[in-house]
Amino acid sequence: MKFLCVPCDTPMRMRATEESEPGSLAVVYSCPACGYEMAMLTNQHETDMVRSLGVRIGPAAAAAIANPGAPGMAAAGMGLAAGAGEAPAGRCPFSAMLGGTTQPGAAETPSGPAWTAGALERLEAIPEMVRPMARAGIEMVARENGQVLIDEEVLAAARSRFGM
Amino acid sequence: MKSYSQIDGDGGSNVAEQVADLEAAIARRMAGIRHVVAIGSGKGGVGKSTLTRQLASVLAASGKKVGILDADLNGPSQAMLCGVADIPPLPGDEGLLLPVSRDGLRILSVGSLLADGEALSWPSASPRHTHVWRATREFAKLAELLAAVHWGTLDVLLVDLPPGPERTAQFADFLGAGAKVVLVSIPSALARGVVARSASALAPLPNRLLGYVENMSGYACSGCGTVRPLFPESREASDLALPCLGRIPFDPQLAALSDEGRAITEVPDGGPVAAALFTTARTMIERLEEVP
Repeated sequence: MKFLCVPCDTPMRMRATEESEPGSLAVVYSCPACGYEMAMLTNQHETDMVRSLGVRIGPAAAAAIANPGAPGMAAAGMGLAAGAGEAPAGRCPFSAMLGGTTQPGAAETPSGPAWTAGALERLEAIPEMVRPMARAGIEMVARENGQVLIDEEVLAAARSRFGM
Repeated sequence: MKSYSQIDGDGGSNVAEQVADLEAAIARRMAGIRHVVAIGSGKGGVGKSTLTRQLASVLAASGKKVGILDADLNGPSQAMLCGVADIPPLPGDEGLLLPVSRDGLRILSVGSLLADGEALSWPSASPRHTHVWRATREFAKLAELLAAVHWGTLDVLLVDLPPGPERTAQFADFLGAGAKVVLVSIPSALARGVVARSASALAPLPNRLLGYVENMSGYACSGCGTVRPLFPESREASDLALPCLGRIPFDPQLAALSDEGRAITEVPDGGPVAAALFTTARTMIERLEEVP
């Protein structure tokens, strides 16, 4: 979907996305020529439709900052657009609203071992729906080995423990 | 006033580019797989998941590198059937590493991501309309997984499809023209009718339909070692007008093994069922190697 500033005959640029209310996203466009701004507000069905595609909605530059090195669109945590400060970092506002697919029995352990930044980056590079069980399995191995900090060594131990 | 095509980009999110990137990522991930074979039916309850698992096992025992993709996100069974329900996929150097069964199969199944008895839920912003976009969201999730998995090199990836003739065709389309399809039936007019619908739904697609497997084709009696009829005599399954890749008798031993996450190749004498599975696997490989 594209927006055109008719008086300027200039394509408007997406400036920001944010959740305007539960189930609705506000996508803000501005005209680079005259500065006029407008917001597209989605209804629940439109929100579902976009969410179903698994794509990242928001300016690409902001998304890239939120997901450095992310391999693909859906595998990326769905970048958060500039100005959408209320949504959690690294997630598309659509994802944040709907929560994606949920796994009721796979909640993250609140008081598990600590993770190094590198190990956490590895975990966050895999699809969101896999992370809870992967995290639980890795933390289990850490506990078995008496480790309080999960690093590359613990990740390797987990792979070995599970026959990978 | 400018028209749509006179404006570069798609409004800011580059959705088309994202879709292309995802498809490219999946293609890269699956580049090491020689044959993708979707095992479907259209009919539920004909044993396609068990057949998929055991067929994979005999292929592995024949020296093939084999993986299983459990495409039934809402009713996953391969994690349990392959004994990897307690093994999570883990991040590796080259992507998402999959659980490996005792007989060496790489398994991608949502069953490894869920606790016993739990199901995925698909939250929706619009109450009472979760069904509207559900299929799209399922395929998006599957695509997300496939873009991340490190399969390595495989001779065969078997894809266990959910029931439904239209779903069979949707998955064949999703997997791409290179994916072949095998349909599973049982000796009943009802099942054959549904399988025929699946064949019909697949007909407009470029995917090659290798043939069908008749499952529960008689009862393998462990007492006398013979195979006896399980269903009443009815029309020959040849009215499916498809090549028959094999007929697998029903054996309670196989059901017990499957419940334990074990393969028929793990028992010393698999009896008529093992023999039929090896014959079916050999026929399927021959069909795969044929130039269409």
